[in-house]
Amino acid sequence: MEALGQTVLGFATMIAFACLLVAFAFTVYRLMRGPSFADRVVALDFLMLIGIGFITVKAVVSSEYSYIDVAIAMALVGFLATVAFARYIYRRAQTTGMEPNEELEGGPGHGGAAAKPAGRPGQGGEP
Amino acid sequence: MIELITGVLILIGSFFSLVAGIGLFRLPDVYLRMHAATKAGTLGSGLMLLAAGFHSQELETIAWVLMGIIFLTMTAPIGAHLLGRAGYLAGVPMWSRTKGDALAGKYDSQGEFLDGYQSRK
Amino acid sequence: MNLFLLNLVLALVWGAVTGSFAPANLLFGFVLGFFSLWLVRDRVDRRNFYRPARIVRLIWVFLKELCLSSYRVARDTLSPQMSFRPAIIAMPLDLKKDAEITLLANLISLTPGTLSVDVSSDKSTLYIHAMDVDDPAEMCREIKEGFEHLIKDALE
Repeated sequence: MEALGQTVLGFATMIAFACLLVAFAFTVYRLMRGPSFADRVVALDFLMLIGIGFITVKAVVSSEYSYIDVAIAMALVGFLATVAFARYIYRRAQTTGMEPNEELEGGPGHGGAAAKPAGRPGQGGEP
Repeated sequence: MIELITGVLILIGSFFSLVAGIGLFRLPDVYLRMHAATKAGTLGSGLMLLAAGFHSQELETIAWVLMGIIFLTMTAPIGAHLLGRAGYLAGVPMWSRTKGDALAGKYDSQGEFLDGYQSRK
Repeated sequence: MNLFLLNLVLALVWGAVTGSFAPANLLFGFVLGFFSLWLVRDRVDRRNFYRPARIVRLIWVFLKELCLSSYRVARDTLSPQMSFRPAIIAMPLDLKKDAEITLLANLISLTPGTLSVDVSSDKSTLYIHAMDVDDPAEMCREIKEGFEHLIKDALE
């Protein structure tokens, strides 16, 4: 039973690291590609969660549990960053009526948004 | 026995994180990606934290881990809601196959509702 | 809350009467206090008596819902052709207090497949972005009978 537990744990941590790495790659892709600013903010929030996952699995592997304090701190900071970014998008939308991405590219029409202020179906987002 | 449970919890947690990552990659719309990333991501990370707490068998680590899980559970939906609302107001387009939009004409440019109702205070 | 504090006081009184404040004894005093309050529940506060049980039931339903819909969202995300149809639906609200509406919005945002987008300014409608909706009225009814009913029971 002990040996079974040990092998399962070793196996599970290896798979966990691999899965987290793949998720990290997908998130970085979305961070670079995401056609809107909100996409990138979602990707950043998810990066924080993946970071928490990495640190937690490392804590289990090395039996050094003070790593979990770092994970909690990352959760706090990640939440604050998401709220700050969301508020920024909201305020810019109130004053200029555009998303920060569209503002940087010189106005609406560069991503399928043609009328303000509400989002509407029919203008497909890119995969 | 402890390690078996820990291993199973870590496997399930990493599977959900992977699903969330795939969702971020495949889904065609900001709001759908928010569904995947915040919820499946929170579940995955929460399960992995729980596994670490269970593996440690010390009270202070378990207390930290429970606090972390409660914090993630309380704050992740707030972040997703704020992002969704801000994105909708900023005009991020929805997926072309969306069925319906009940919020379509309801906002003015400042994000206040158009029916002009003064909320009772 | 008052009932719980009364129960704690009864546990302490039991500890004082029997002369030992060992944790096991205090726990036994708590159980005895609970039983005696249950006997007089009609006189004391009937509505509040089972409130902790209702709150526990809310948490349990939420966890079960989370697990079930996580599986559904995983299946939707990994399906080769994306056959879901998202939509923003408007759900009329029965709850009136801010704390309850917040709790409902949070619970909706936590169950995979739904995300609360906004609340109308007269707090009568909640707008929800749902990932896979076949019938908006059906989904409204599910949420109403599921979460809203439980929150109403647990917090009012």
